[in-house]
Amino acid sequence: MALLELAGVAKRFGAVLALDDINLDVARGEVHCLLGENGAGKSTLCNLIFGVHRPDGGRISFDGKPFSPSGPIDALRQGIAMVHQHFSLVGTMTVVENLMMGRARRVLEPREVIARMQRLADEYQLEIDPWRIVRELSVGERQRVEIIKCLLGDPQLLVLDEPTAVLPPEEVESFLTVCRRVADSGRGVILVTHKLAEIATVADRTSVLRHGRVVETVAMEGADMRRLVCSMIGHDIHTGDGVLAATLGLADAPAADADAIAQAAAHSRRGRDGGPPALLLKGVTYRDANGVTRLDDVSLTVHSHEIVGIAGVEGNGQSELGAILAGLADASSGQITVDGTDLTGAAPKDITACGVGIVPEDRHAVACVTALSIAENLCLGATERYSRFGLLDRGAMSKATAALMREFDVRASGPDAPMSSLSGGNQQKAVLARELSLSPLKFLLAAQPTRGLDVSAVEAVYSRIQAARDRGLGVLLISSELNELIAVSDRVAVMYRGRIVGEMAATAANREAIGAMMSGHSHA
Amino acid sequence: MLKRSATLAMHAPSQGTGGAPKLAPGALMKIAVPVVATVAALLVGLLIIASTGSSVTEAMLAFWDGMAGSGYNVGASINRAISLGFVGLGFIFANRANLTNVGGEGQIAIGGMFATAMALHGAASLPFGLAFVLPLLVGTLAGALWGGLAGVLKSSRGTNEVISTLLLTFIALPVVYWSVESVRLLRKPLTEVSSLPESAEIADPTKLPMLFPNDPTSPLHIGLVLFVIAVVAVWVVLKHSAFGLKLRAVGLNELASRRAGIRTGRLIVASMAIAGGLGGLAGAIMIQGQNYYLTNEFSSGYGFDGLVVGLLSRGSPLGVVVGALLFGFLRSGSIAMEITAHVPAAVVLICQGLIVIAVAGSTWLIDRKASK
Repeated sequence: MALLELAGVAKRFGAVLALDDINLDVARGEVHCLLGENGAGKSTLCNLIFGVHRPDGGRISFDGKPFSPSGPIDALRQGIAMVHQHFSLVGTMTVVENLMMGRARRVLEPREVIARMQRLADEYQLEIDPWRIVRELSVGERQRVEIIKCLLGDPQLLVLDEPTAVLPPEEVESFLTVCRRVADSGRGVILVTHKLAEIATVADRTSVLRHGRVVETVAMEGADMRRLVCSMIGHDIHTGDGVLAATLGLADAPAADADAIAQAAAHSRRGRDGGPPALLLKGVTYRDANGVTRLDDVSLTVHSHEIVGIAGVEGNGQSELGAILAGLADASSGQITVDGTDLTGAAPKDITACGVGIVPEDRHAVACVTALSIAENLCLGATERYSRFGLLDRGAMSKATAALMREFDVRASGPDAPMSSLSGGNQQKAVLARELSLSPLKFLLAAQPTRGLDVSAVEAVYSRIQAARDRGLGVLLISSELNELIAVSDRVAVMYRGRIVGEMAATAANREAIGAMMSGHSHA
Repeated sequence: MLKRSATLAMHAPSQGTGGAPKLAPGALMKIAVPVVATVAALLVGLLIIASTGSSVTEAMLAFWDGMAGSGYNVGASINRAISLGFVGLGFIFANRANLTNVGGEGQIAIGGMFATAMALHGAASLPFGLAFVLPLLVGTLAGALWGGLAGVLKSSRGTNEVISTLLLTFIALPVVYWSVESVRLLRKPLTEVSSLPESAEIADPTKLPMLFPNDPTSPLHIGLVLFVIAVVAVWVVLKHSAFGLKLRAVGLNELASRRAGIRTGRLIVASMAIAGGLGGLAGAIMIQGQNYYLTNEFSSGYGFDGLVVGLLSRGSPLGVVVGALLFGFLRSGSIAMEITAHVPAAVVLICQGLIVIAVAGSTWLIDRKASK
């Protein structure tokens, strides 16, 4: 008998049918993978199971009984636990304090919790020092704490939302071992992901979710992964498309490595032929408000005609580097030069005027003002061009925006549609349109440009960036997706704890070496 | 409001169409609900008046007479509305940049004080109407500096403008008191007949010209014209100018605006200065249009009532006009009720509060209906 069973479950938000006629079952001892693109309804489905939302139709049964939790607390009580993509731990507290939260009654008794932690560690290989401060743990360790937190409640079903997205490559393996062991102890595990390849080895079955429907459920033994991925995105992928394949985790990197190396060499040669480099960082160091060194003596050159990737597990200084290049933070020391112009400590307006395009990593907080229209967002930095005597020429704004929207394939009801009404992919294309249409344009920083985008949008974003590179732009690409990075970049620099720990050609052969450097294990 | 609906849209679980267009609530309801609520609030107010032992009919008659019993009273009510309206306009201006200017009272005080100083010392003999224009400008400028100060604190030190504008008010009011207490400042020379702490009366050329000089019973002055100009100007700037767009962008998302190349610090200072300037102008108009001499607490709460007008207008200059008129007439009626019907001042204030709650509550109700 299935542990969890959904029959004909539907959920609508206003006019949007987020989930439609979902049929799904998870057995005890099973690792069930939920595969789907962003916006396919994976999170909504998890939230239904975890009691955050209530279904509008259909039945859910859990452990043989009808299941309709009044909220997450009720779901937890009934034996369902969930690890969200964004962890819910208090960074300033110790591991054991975090584990006691919401569980302690009157007198705090850490000894008992530690004893239970020890038992879990033995059973599932979830080793962690109970007295360490959470803030100092690596992302993988924090994830372990989250899983321990769930297991302390002895759940029957464990739901993990995009668990591998935050892990460095080498920690994925041990995470999968934990999943297997949890399932083998007679519990059900749901793994939510849009990257099948990473977890394929551990999943028993996979359900593919597309546009709010379960398209198919297949046993993983002997399954054709490529076909599953095609089923996820709804169309065939071209076999020759290295970037797309890498994005989906199907291939490690572009097919022809020899070609890639030659191409990279050609790009950097062209770049070095004359003129100053597009971007030159000399000893850039950044200490945050608390005096913690976030960037440590970073030196880097990006030539024109070249994409340089910054690889690294998130939180190793990439965000700070992005903020400094965008002019939103000032380097504590060091020098930043773009095309021969010193931009150290320059304001965003001056940086833009110098020909620096910025695609910030946080689309909603930094890249655009979501409540304003597309036209207003695209013209915000250049209002002088679209106004007369201080009054806006909305006609001209709309016209220029409509042209850019056509050029960059931004799909919206029109230039006056609010940015918030656009999908993530179209928002990003609009941001890219604004930054790539700067004149002059010497250098582009693209920070996590594909985060949260669906596959077709990822493809569109990278093809734009590569096209701009081919026209002579120097690009710095920051991404935590190593496969994408290797597929798109000419050269990859690895950041670890605020330092550049190595640089190599972006080839599949170097993938393992780069992965190792990302985890801080070997310094090239 | 735009901001709130946009945030909601952002959190909507699925992206795409952006939702079906919402049915606007009937225009009738938009008018009927606040009117009914206001009448209900007045009825409750009358009950309270009755419970204090005053005559309800007398109170009602006094209230009506004070609001609009004569041409003069109507004019006086409009003059009150003008002062409230300027402060309200300033409030919505700063509020567009997500700044909350609660310092209208202090800005009025400083504006009125400097306008008086200019009118008494130097402006009176100037030709071509400069006699009254210059004090107006000086009052506006003083208010702008007073408000801009809060902007500077905000942009350079991150000081919350609610606190700084309020504290600046607590400084401004005693400064005015000091200026009318000290003969070396603005206090008129002490004589045997008058020893009140107030300034001398400003000279006739520095007083605002009357709108209807042939009708001695009309108290309306050109402040009304200035207000209409200000309403249109604020509307144009907020709705159609590049500056207005930048204000809105900074108000919605300061970080993204900074990244887009807006110098957000300057913008914050500018918007606070404009808000303060409008408050200062209100103070100057109060002195030059009606009071004619500076007294301690000459504003007596117009800054705070103007703040409420701004809040209730929900960012619309036209809303400011409506709110200012409502409060201007209410204030006139209340004063008359207090003086002629001997209703305690506290009860009058309670009635005002009830009306504010009624109006605010009904707009909230309409909003909620609209968003459902």
